[in-house]
Amino acid sequence: MRVRFWPKNKKERPSPSTLLPPEGVALTLPIAGIGVRLAAQITDILITVVAVVCLMILLGLADLFSASTMFAVGSLLFFLIRVPYYICTELVWNGQTLGKRLMKIKVVSHDGGPLTAHALVLRNLMKEAEVFLPATLLLTLDAGNPLESLASLLWIIMALLIPLLNRYRQRLGDMMAGTHVIHLPVPLLLADLAEKTPPLSQTRRKFVFLTHQLDHYGAFELQTLEALLRSQSSPSGHEAAKQRNATIEAIVEKIRKKIGYADPVPPADRLKFLQAFYNAQREHLEQRQLFGDRRENKHYAQSEEDA
Amino acid sequence: MDNQDLMRSARFRKEREADWRRLEALVRDAESKGLQKMAFAETRDLASLYRQATTSLAIAREISLDKALLAYLEALTARAYLCVYAPQQQLGGLLERFLATGAPQAMRRSWLFLLLGFLCMALGALTGYLLYFENNDWFYVFMPSDLAGGRGPDATTEALRAVIYSDDHNTGGLGAFATYLFSHNTMIAIFVFGLGVFACAPAVLLTFYNGLILGAFFALHVDRGLGLDLFGWLSIHGVTELSAICIASAGGLKLGAAVLFPGRYSRKDALRHAGRDAVKLAIVAALMLFAAAILEGFGRQMVQDLQLRLLIGWGAGALWLSWFLLGGQNPGWGRGRGWQR
Repeated sequence: MRVRFWPKNKKERPSPSTLLPPEGVALTLPIAGIGVRLAAQITDILITVVAVVCLMILLGLADLFSASTMFAVGSLLFFLIRVPYYICTELVWNGQTLGKRLMKIKVVSHDGGPLTAHALVLRNLMKEAEVFLPATLLLTLDAGNPLESLASLLWIIMALLIPLLNRYRQRLGDMMAGTHVIHLPVPLLLADLAEKTPPLSQTRRKFVFLTHQLDHYGAFELQTLEALLRSQSSPSGHEAAKQRNATIEAIVEKIRKKIGYADPVPPADRLKFLQAFYNAQREHLEQRQLFGDRRENKHYAQSEEDA
Repeated sequence: MDNQDLMRSARFRKEREADWRRLEALVRDAESKGLQKMAFAETRDLASLYRQATTSLAIAREISLDKALLAYLEALTARAYLCVYAPQQQLGGLLERFLATGAPQAMRRSWLFLLLGFLCMALGALTGYLLYFENNDWFYVFMPSDLAGGRGPDATTEALRAVIYSDDHNTGGLGAFATYLFSHNTMIAIFVFGLGVFACAPAVLLTFYNGLILGAFFALHVDRGLGLDLFGWLSIHGVTELSAICIASAGGLKLGAAVLFPGRYSRKDALRHAGRDAVKLAIVAALMLFAAAILEGFGRQMVQDLQLRLLIGWGAGALWLSWFLLGGQNPGWGRGRGWQR
């Protein structure tokens, strides 16, 4: 939505998720959104609250406080546990609390360097002033004092709006500490589809694609086909298998029609056909790319004419 | 299957896959154990394999259309980057460094803001004091009823004296400690620090208001000839506690000043710069509040003698002051740089 309002200066800036290391190859560290951070925060609050409740029960059994001071002791314990909790966990796990570990997100320094103790302490102390203090106020104030409740409500809303209004989704404390939160990417190497196929010499005899037949599609269609072929290996029930077969059939027919492949494909060979087509198409597109002819999707010819 | 049978990008992957796998294992090690505990050969391999992987990524972006491969390399290089360039900092000596050099140096660097903070409080106290003598009713305007605890212009002198020298307290031990710590002054301290970001004004106002309360309260007791007794009663914890509020306020003012007058930095950078010292001031204020709570919760009831109260209160104040003035003076110590900038 926002891109539409300021199309020019938005385009020139690099994406907030890319980072240029000294090696000169732009890396991708995807910015974590509000939702996942909120989930991590709630997990952390749950953990600390459970710790407080356990301690309260222990203290109660030892008869160390009376019922009238229970609330004060509880909120004091919560305060005394949560402030060191956030700071210590982020120090020990290099920018991850337990909730963040669970959600696979991590605090990183804005300039790409190591996280300093100072930055972690600052961002977590500001969390106290930004979120917890107005929240406790909102919970403890009575209805007789609407002005203060309104003020703390406005405060919370503002604290939650600040991350939405900047590209790196930084809280106020993040800005001051020079940090932001990223998704920790999980490296998972799937098998190469081109390698999985039966020896090329066999399939090549069966399905042969000519160059002009491979000029219809671009990288987007190829990668969609890749995702489809990868999903075939996962097991499924009877109903799902039936539906999947129908999809495969429709796709095979569509491709055949589009590229003008005359020979009919028998039902048993449909997957092999798609596999062979994927290989041929990928080889062709990669070769074109090496020659400087990058084809993003099937409309590549039109966009060239426009330019 | 023969290598020659494969297409170019698949061959590219096959030749490098073993290295990537090794890098993946090294990254996992570095993340779980930490770089410091890894063998020399492993860390050396981590760095060089990371550089190879970035090269692989650059090539793969050009020659390969295999989405799985691209996603894997993106994730692997990002993880390895964090291991190589943003490793876990050494935590040993952190607290010691803060106490010995960081905090006192930060305090001395922000002397101007500290002065402003104390000035706000003092001016507030003076105003409150003078206003009380102009008209007693100002007391009710300034003083929140829960803080006054029945003490006011209506109370008898005897009742006021009884509060100052009372040794029975309805909530004893831990309960009293908790209520005090979480009461008024801690709230004020967090407020003045956190609100300082919003252009100083809230921090100044709150500190001034706190001074008003203090001034009016003091005036009430001076009016009844209990000035010195109240001074002792407040001193035992107040020297530490009120200083903590002023220090927190100074931290808030520092942040607010960075927002108002960023100088040649952008506001965000100025805020980050000011944050370095402000956070240290906040931690110092927290430490002092904690100490004040201990003095208030336990010391005030146990020590009934006026002279001893004054001695403890101002002795603690002198200790704090000597920490701030004398700590970390040697520029060769700690991080190896002096406090003058």
